[in-house]
Amino acid sequence: MSIRVAADIGGTFTDFVSLDEETGRIIEEKAHTTPANFAEGVIYAVKKSGISLSEVSYFVHGTTVVINAITERKGAPTALITTKGFRDVLEIGRANRPDMYNYFYKKPVPYVPRKYRYEVEERVSNRGEILIPLNEEELLSVASKIRESGIRSVAVCFINSYANAGQEQKAGKILAGQLPDAEITISSDLLKVWREYERTSTTVLNAYVKPAARLYLDTLKDTLKEMGLKEEPHAMQSNGGTATFERAKEVPISLIESGPVGGVIGGAALGKVINEPNIITFDVGGTTAKTSLISKGQVKITTEYKLEWTPLFAGYPVKSPVVDIIEIGNGGGSVAWIDEVGVLKVGPKSAGADPGPACYGKGGTQATLTDANLVTGRIDPDNFLGGTFKVDTEKSRQAIKPIADYFKISVEEAAMGIIKTAAGNMLNALKLVSVRRGYDPQDFAMLAQGGNGALLSPYLARELKVKKCIIPNLPGTFSAWGMLMTDLRQDFMQTCIMPFGNADLKIVNDIYGRMEEEAVSIFKRQNIKEKDILFIRTAEVRYAGQEHAVSTPVASGAVTKESIKECREQFDMIHEQKYTFSLPEAGAEFVGFNLTAYGVVLKPEIKKIGKGGNLEGAVKGERNVMYEAYGGILCKVYDRMKLGRGDRITGPAIVEESKSVTVLCPDQTLEVDAYGNLIINTKY
Amino acid sequence: MGKTDPFTRENIAQGLLAAADEMFYSWGRTSQSTIIYEVLDYACGLTDANGNLIGQANGATMFLGAITFSAKAILKKFGKDKIKPGDVFLTNDPFTGAGTHLCDVAAVLPIFYHNELVSFAVNKGHWNEIGGKNLGSWSTDAEEIFQEGLQLPDIRIYDGGVFNESVRDIIGANCRTPDMTLGDLYGQTAALRIAQARVLELFDKYGRDEVLESMEFILENGRKTALLELSKMPKGVFEAEDLLDTEANGVNDIPVKVKVTITDEEFILDFTGTGKAVFAPINCSVYGAQSGARIAYSALLSPHTPPNDGFYSLLKVLVPEGCLFNAKSPYPVSCDWEPIQILIDVVMKALAEAVPERVPAGHFLSIIGTIVGGTDDKTGKPFVLCEPQAGGWGAGDIKDGESGLVAVCDGETFIVPVEVCEYRYPIRVEQFALNPKTGAGQFRGGHGLIRDYRILNSKAEVTTIASRHKIAPWGFAGGKDGSINDVQIYKKRSGEMKSAATWSHEPLEQGDLIRLISGGGGGYGNPKKRPAEKVLKDWEDGRITLEEAKKEYGIIIDEAAGKVDMEKTKAFRP
Repeated sequence: MSIRVAADIGGTFTDFVSLDEETGRIIEEKAHTTPANFAEGVIYAVKKSGISLSEVSYFVHGTTVVINAITERKGAPTALITTKGFRDVLEIGRANRPDMYNYFYKKPVPYVPRKYRYEVEERVSNRGEILIPLNEEELLSVASKIRESGIRSVAVCFINSYANAGQEQKAGKILAGQLPDAEITISSDLLKVWREYERTSTTVLNAYVKPAARLYLDTLKDTLKEMGLKEEPHAMQSNGGTATFERAKEVPISLIESGPVGGVIGGAALGKVINEPNIITFDVGGTTAKTSLISKGQVKITTEYKLEWTPLFAGYPVKSPVVDIIEIGNGGGSVAWIDEVGVLKVGPKSAGADPGPACYGKGGTQATLTDANLVTGRIDPDNFLGGTFKVDTEKSRQAIKPIADYFKISVEEAAMGIIKTAAGNMLNALKLVSVRRGYDPQDFAMLAQGGNGALLSPYLARELKVKKCIIPNLPGTFSAWGMLMTDLRQDFMQTCIMPFGNADLKIVNDIYGRMEEEAVSIFKRQNIKEKDILFIRTAEVRYAGQEHAVSTPVASGAVTKESIKECREQFDMIHEQKYTFSLPEAGAEFVGFNLTAYGVVLKPEIKKIGKGGNLEGAVKGERNVMYEAYGGILCKVYDRMKLGRGDRITGPAIVEESKSVTVLCPDQTLEVDAYGNLIINTKY
Repeated sequence: MGKTDPFTRENIAQGLLAAADEMFYSWGRTSQSTIIYEVLDYACGLTDANGNLIGQANGATMFLGAITFSAKAILKKFGKDKIKPGDVFLTNDPFTGAGTHLCDVAAVLPIFYHNELVSFAVNKGHWNEIGGKNLGSWSTDAEEIFQEGLQLPDIRIYDGGVFNESVRDIIGANCRTPDMTLGDLYGQTAALRIAQARVLELFDKYGRDEVLESMEFILENGRKTALLELSKMPKGVFEAEDLLDTEANGVNDIPVKVKVTITDEEFILDFTGTGKAVFAPINCSVYGAQSGARIAYSALLSPHTPPNDGFYSLLKVLVPEGCLFNAKSPYPVSCDWEPIQILIDVVMKALAEAVPERVPAGHFLSIIGTIVGGTDDKTGKPFVLCEPQAGGWGAGDIKDGESGLVAVCDGETFIVPVEVCEYRYPIRVEQFALNPKTGAGQFRGGHGLIRDYRILNSKAEVTTIASRHKIAPWGFAGGKDGSINDVQIYKKRSGEMKSAATWSHEPLEQGDLIRLISGGGGGYGNPKKRPAEKVLKDWEDGRITLEEAKKEYGIIIDEAAGKVDMEKTKAFRP
């Protein structure tokens, strides 16, 4: 009973990682994702790995089921009940037109059509007073209409329920009695924050996916149990923590970004082991690049998440904490193209897995980043995915030729142009999470992940001028590994506007007291002992008159005048860092109070690797690699599996492993650390 | 090919645009003014050393001309040789380049690389308060610009890095909320410095010649894109006219006229025939007209092309002196979105028949600028709710109109949430719903909105201004006209209801109700061609009544069965 398993469903592959805590042995597997029935892919990967589930002490699962059900509009027909006068809030949204010059812009279409949006008489003020009591008769009549319509998922969101959830909760109880076979989502169960559209949207999306999520998680759990799993499985939540399947199916919206967060959490966990509290994670897969920032060991969380948002589309707000990840449409499969005025662009269109890059020989004719990597010698055609997959460099050259012809340059130069353009896009995303938020990259290590992460990371690390670049073990399945290092997590938010000057300590202590009580009760149901629960408090703070608040730490225990003062000082400091100025003399106010609760679980120990010393023995060959400003350089190619602790390589060089390639630049050196991570330093 | 390879050039170009974006993001997050943070009524951009727009990030379309004309005004007044490192300029002068009304203040920072002027970072935003006769610095009844606030006619606020405290004190003394106004000023200049730092980083990294060359290429590519898009447009002369029916100071409806001439290399808008400027705040300056013309040009030619002066180089705008679109001091301009929006609308209307795939039917057009203010009984402090309303958009040849979207002069502009509104002001929002009246058509116009404000304070006043109160948004290709904008006041004490689009400081008492109704968009195509199943769905959704289904669409619905009665329908729909 000492094996920990993570299964992470991605767009193309389902990644599987198992770790034997006694031997330290890690098994990684990749199975094709099976969209018709996602559980199949997981089960297949488990079988392929040869692991016996009865030996498994911890099973964690990252899943795209929730986000897919929503974006593919495959959730359950849902009804919405609002306060009288507000059923159209869901359709009106915030009325913004991000696609400003487009007269044919289409707003997000609401997930509940107007005929299933019902109103009941009731009203609470912003101070929580009951102005109009809930009209129960009206609610009963709405319930019977819903029953007749056959709809079995209901969302309830009343105006100002963040200030007093009583009537909403009462409505929920009545509905549960009236509609025993329906799933009911009450907004105040999910979040107690203001802004009715954002709260309604979150509530509706939760209701919309609840039946599908329940079915999926139940089916998977039953199957895993049949295969021998004895422990309650855990799901990865978008907030970077886990929850048991039982808890997750009540709040499936908390799984919306279940997949991508593993790599960020893994980054924080690895950082702790190797003493790097400041990390920029950089994950490059087939179609996208994702980056996130970890400061002082803390993963950044946002509550401004919008599903399907683009700069030209308003998207659907989900006010649930999500690890703050910036994602751009640039990965190995991203297509290079020339726009109508002759500028080379890469992505966001991707060749996907089929036909894939031109070099796959599956009919793809457009040049991709992978093709450019092949032509420039960064990838060895004979060692693609560990040599298991045959690729054709000639096809890559043919695909890049039109671009070379257009600019009247060689195919190699055009390939470098593609790499440079993609790198430029990625660099802007990396700056977005770091420099633009007031962080100096020199205080950070960059952590490469994903199948294509190590190819470009050393170069980008140099461009961004980070302290160092880290290539972890098994970068291709790092995200799944990260899930093994995760604690349970629940977040609580309560909007409550209160000036600092005369903060009511009783209210603040009551809010935290209630949240902590609720957290303990949720964790107890997930078999977490009280001693293993850790609370982190923050408050949303802003200067009087500002709109956007800054998340500021609040000391634990009883909140006193002293701790309020401390909080104020911290706020000024954080504001200064983020926005280059602070106003210590100006009035400030609390907008809300937040609690993050962790249920700490035992995590595996990371084992050290053997000493190196035979660098020449690790050389598997030489090849010509193109570098910007240098042209082609003959580089040694090393086998990562043969490198040991303390080995040092001077760039330019290539380090290969079965599912990843590291390209070391000429002015860089690489050292293998005690745990087998490749640590790359640049001479600036 | 120039000195720089094309890929590096593109990297630099992206870096320049990112600098404008970062300035926008940073200012928005820290601004203290309600308008900037909820409504994103501001813009940030970079120009070359001659004031030509390289790239711009903005939240509202009306700021399209903001960056370039402000920088050019500074260049014109001071000349390159009088501008030095450390200078920052301010302007809100509608008539020399700032363009829009006085509350929109532009800050201009010249960027020097090794003592050579290489670029301007410019941002412009709606300040909460700049003085004048009314709180919020816009009114619906000003007769001359001197009533509309403090004018900052292209002045230096930082002289070689030294902050001009005298100017600061003048601004402070002339505003009702000096803390907030000066807070806006500090946030605004801090954002300029961020952009400056990013631009200089690019110069350091890539070199002077390379960055300057990249700027030239941005402009050149913009022009190339415009020529390409223009080649897809029909050539010829297109005309349209309309009336600006905004009520203010008792002026009559003002005729608005455009002649659009499209050639292979030019897109000319001639507004000759438009009525004269009026002594009511519904005029705009020539730069406001330029901004409006750019919006129509972008919408028609290529909505997704990033704005720069290369792209706009084909656009020529002719506005006769003294007309509504080219007012001069002392004509007031504080509601200049009213003329600017009808300017855009009339251009769209002129081209509708020629390019129906690019122009939908008319939308509610007015932002229905709304101010509800007073002195809060509980705190004794003044409160001001100042917001635009959203409304219905027109249907197009492939889609129904959108419901509840901000007007064309706004963009990434957010309406204030009901819960925020109730927290902040002594107001209860009793309803926020779709206005069922829209333009019928094969594609139906979008819904306007109904928003009810109940006054909880003992006293308050309301000011609003809107056009399209008498003349509804136009239907197109056989579609019906949409519905009008209307602001109704229900007096609690007398029980009477009054309706108008423009109100100036209308006194209110506790219990009175303001009902803001925005118009529905125009329809597209013959309503009788709307598929029966869509009409049925509209009825099920409560968007149309049984009567309307029958009268407008010729569809008879069997209410009890919830189905279309095909037999009876045949009689109405041949």
